[in-house]
Amino acid sequence: MAARVPDTHPIAGGVLDAVDVGIIVVDSSRRIVLWNEWMERVTGTAANAALGRTIADVFSGLKTDRLVQSVSEALDFGNSGFLSHTLHPALLPLCGSDGRPLLHNIRVKPLARADGPCCVVQIDDITGMIRREAVLRDRQNARYQAVVDSALDAIVTTDESGVIQWMNTAAERQFGVTPEDAVGQGIGLLLANPDAWPSGPAHDRAARHITQTSGRRKDGTLFHLEAAASRWTGNGCGFVTGILRDITERRLAAEALERVNAELAELNRNLERKVAERTRETEEALKKLFASQKMDAVGQLTGGLAHDFNNLLAAILSNLDLLRKRLPDDPKFRRLLDGAIHGAERGASLTGRLLAFARRQELKPKAVDVSELLDGMTELLQRSLGASVEIRTDVAPGLPAVHIDSNQVELALLNLAVNARDAMPFGGALVISAVADTFVDAVPAADLARGDYVRISVTDTGVGMDETILAKAREPFFTTKGPGKGTGLGLSMVQGLAIQSGGALRIRSKAGEGTTVDLWLPKSDAEAQPETTIARRAAPSRRHFSVLLVDDDALVRMGTVDMLEDLGHTVTEAGSAAEALTILQAGAQVDVVITDQAMPGMRGTELASQLRDKYPALPVVLATGYAELPNGEGPGLPRLSKPFRQEDIAAILDRMPPRDDATAKVIALRRNG
Amino acid sequence: MQLSDIERDAVAEIANIAIGRAADSLRKIVGHEILMSVPSVDVMTREKAAAALAKPGTRTFIAVSQSFQGPFSGRALLIFPEASSLALVRAILGREMSLEDVADIEDEALAETGNIILNSFVATMANVFKRALTMSLPSVMRGDSRQLFEAPAVADDLVLLLYINFEISQKEIRGYLALVMDLPSLETLRALVNDFLASLSAEDQEHGGTRS
Repeated sequence: MAARVPDTHPIAGGVLDAVDVGIIVVDSSRRIVLWNEWMERVTGTAANAALGRTIADVFSGLKTDRLVQSVSEALDFGNSGFLSHTLHPALLPLCGSDGRPLLHNIRVKPLARADGPCCVVQIDDITGMIRREAVLRDRQNARYQAVVDSALDAIVTTDESGVIQWMNTAAERQFGVTPEDAVGQGIGLLLANPDAWPSGPAHDRAARHITQTSGRRKDGTLFHLEAAASRWTGNGCGFVTGILRDITERRLAAEALERVNAELAELNRNLERKVAERTRETEEALKKLFASQKMDAVGQLTGGLAHDFNNLLAAILSNLDLLRKRLPDDPKFRRLLDGAIHGAERGASLTGRLLAFARRQELKPKAVDVSELLDGMTELLQRSLGASVEIRTDVAPGLPAVHIDSNQVELALLNLAVNARDAMPFGGALVISAVADTFVDAVPAADLARGDYVRISVTDTGVGMDETILAKAREPFFTTKGPGKGTGLGLSMVQGLAIQSGGALRIRSKAGEGTTVDLWLPKSDAEAQPETTIARRAAPSRRHFSVLLVDDDALVRMGTVDMLEDLGHTVTEAGSAAEALTILQAGAQVDVVITDQAMPGMRGTELASQLRDKYPALPVVLATGYAELPNGEGPGLPRLSKPFRQEDIAAILDRMPPRDDATAKVIALRRNG
Repeated sequence: MQLSDIERDAVAEIANIAIGRAADSLRKIVGHEILMSVPSVDVMTREKAAAALAKPGTRTFIAVSQSFQGPFSGRALLIFPEASSLALVRAILGREMSLEDVADIEDEALAETGNIILNSFVATMANVFKRALTMSLPSVMRGDSRQLFEAPAVADDLVLLLYINFEISQKEIRGYLALVMDLPSLETLRALVNDFLASLSAEDQEHGGTRS
C-alpha cells in the first residue's frame, strides 16, 4: 500500500498531533514508534515515556489481550482489526478532560513501509457520540416513554419466541417484577398460561389477539387479566406487544352483578309466586266471603221466613188441638184432624231445621259427656242405618265434657249417619270417633276460635265427593239425593248447630275415597250431669191462673188464648208490650205474664225487664222461636218454644210458684204502684 | 465454475479450522462458549447466492463486510438474517439487555464479531496457503440478499458461499460466510486449494500415515 501523503510532506508531522483521535504506531518488533499528543492527553503518559515500549508494557494489567492480538495479526497476516467498546467495556484506561473514563473504539491496520511492516492503532473517542445518541434517543422517546409509563395497563413486549424484551412501569407495578428480573425470561413469568400469548411462528398466530387469562405476580398470586396482544416487526425481527389489563375488579363487579341479578330474578320469581299466592288467597277469601255472605243472606231470609211460618204453625196447631177436643168423637173427623195436625207438625219440624241452619234454633246447652252421648245413640244408629253398615265408635278415654244441647247434637249425628249410609249404597263402615283437640295457634277451620274442643268425626267408606260437590255441600237446599229424597238441609243444619254451639264443622272428602265430617264442640267449663228425666208432660194443671198474654200477632194470640182457657185459665190479651204495661198499671189481677219475644216497639225481654223492676214477684214466660236473644237478655226466664202445643203451656204453668205467693207479691206491687 | 467434492471439503475444512480459532477468540472476549460449524460449501453466481439466502420470512439481512487483497482478492461477508442479529448479539454478549440497548450496539458488536470471524478465516487461508492477504476494516451493511452481493462487484463475480451455524446458549442461529471474488481470483484460490491438497498427500506419503 503506497502512502498517498509522503512522509516528507512539510506539514505531515503537525497533523498527527492536531487530529482529535489517538494514534499509536507499532513497528514489526511490537515497539511503539509513534504516540501522538491526543494519547498523551488521555493517558497522562508523555510520548517520550511511551516510545520504544510495547503496548502491553505501557498499559500493564489490561483485562484483554485482544488489542495485542490484533496488532500481531496486523503485523503477521495483514489483518485489520476492529475493537468495539460494546464487546470490551474498558479496552484501555483512558480519561477524558472531565476526568471521566473515555468510551472508545480501536481500529488496528497494517501499514506496509519501506523499512518493514508496521501497524497503526487508531483510537476514537466515542463518548460524546454515545452521550449524544443517548440524549437524542431520550428526547425522541420522551413522549413515547411518558405515554407508556403513565399508562395504567401493563405493556409488555416479547420477541417471537415469547422472551420478554421490555415492560413499562405499570407492568412492574402490576406484576411486582423489575425489568431487570423480567427481561430475558419467558412470558410464562407473567402469565399462568403462556399459550395465551401469541408468540411462536408467525403463520400459526393471528396478528391481533385478545384473550382473558390469568396473570401471575412475583409472589405467585394469580389475577384476572385481559391481554390484547399484537405482532409487529422491527429490525427484521418479530415482536409481540401486549397490553395486559388487570380485570380482577371488573370480573368481581361482573360476578357481583350476576349474583345480584340472579338474586333479583329469584326475588322477582318469589314476588310473582307470592303475588300469585296472595291473589289465589284473596280469591279464595273472596269466594269464602261470598259463600259466607250468601249463607248469611240465605240464613236471614230462611230465619225470618221460618219465624213467621212458626207463628202460623203455632196458630194452626193450637186451633187444631182445641178443635180435636170440641169435635164429636167421629173417626172420620179424627182422621182428617190427625192428618192436619201431622202436616202442621211436619211443617214445625221443617221450620225447626231451617232455624237450626240459620243458627236461630232454641238451644238448651249444658255440660254433656260425649262418650255417654255416643253410647246412648249406638242402638238408634244401628236401627236407622240397617245391617249393611257396620258401625264402630272410637272414643278417646278421659274426654272433657262439652257445652252443647245434647238433643240437637244427637239429631245432627243421626243426620250425618244417614248421609253416610246414603253414600254407601252397597254397605260399608261408619266410624264415629271422638278426641280432644286444643288449638293454641292455628285452627283447622276458619270459624273456629282458639280453645279446647272435643272433635267428633263421622267417617264413611262411601263414594265421597269431588271438589265441586264438596264446595257446595254445606249450602242449604243443596242435595245430591234424588228429588223428594232429601231436603238439602242436613249438613247446613249440622253446620249451623256447630257454629251456634261455638264449634265448627269440617268436611273432608275425595271422590271414591269416602267422607269424614269433623264436628268440633266446645269444652264445657262444668262437669257433665247425669241426664235427669223430667216429666215432659205434667199432669193436667189443677191450678188456675189469671194470665196476661202479650203477642202482636192476633192469630197466634187467639190460638193461645183458646188453649189457656181450655186449660181453665183466665186470659187478658195485650197486642203489645206497652198495652200490657197499661193493663198492669190499671191494676189488673195477673198471676203470670206470657209474652212473645219478637214484637214491634218493645220486645218481650224488654217487657220482662221492666216487669222485674216494677213487679219483682210477677213471673214472666217468654214465648219465642228465636234463640238469638241478645246477650244477657231474659236469662232465667221460663221459655215456650214456638210453635208450642197446649201440653207445653200446661207444663210450664205447672212449674209456676204457688198462687198465694204470687198473689201476695202482686198485692205488694200494687202497694208500690 | 464448480468445485470438485474434494475441493469443497478442503475449503470447508479450512473454514472449520478458521472459525474454531474465531470461536476461541470470541470465547475469550465474551467469557462463554460459542460453537460454530460449517456444514457445507458451494460456489455459485451472485444471483444464485442471493436466491439461496432468500427464504420465506427472511428478506432482509445484516452483513459484516471486509475486503481482502492478495493473490486472490474480493470481499468477505458474514451474513445473518436481520431477525437473528439481535438474538446473536444478545447471545454473544451473554447478558440481557433492553431492546433499545441491543439495537444501539448491534452494529458495532456485530462489526467486531464479524471482524474476528472474517479475520480468522482469511488469516487461516493465508496461513494454509502460505500467502499474504491484507484485510480492510469491517463495515456493516443491511439490505436484501441481492444488495449484499452487488456493489462493489463486477458482472461475472462468483460467490463462495459457506453455511455457518452458531450455537450459543442453546440457541441455534444460521448464518453465511461468503467470499465474493472475480473468476481469476477464484481460479487462484482453487489452485491454492489443490496445491494444499497435494502438499497434504505428499506429507502423508512422507510420514506414511493418514491425516486424522
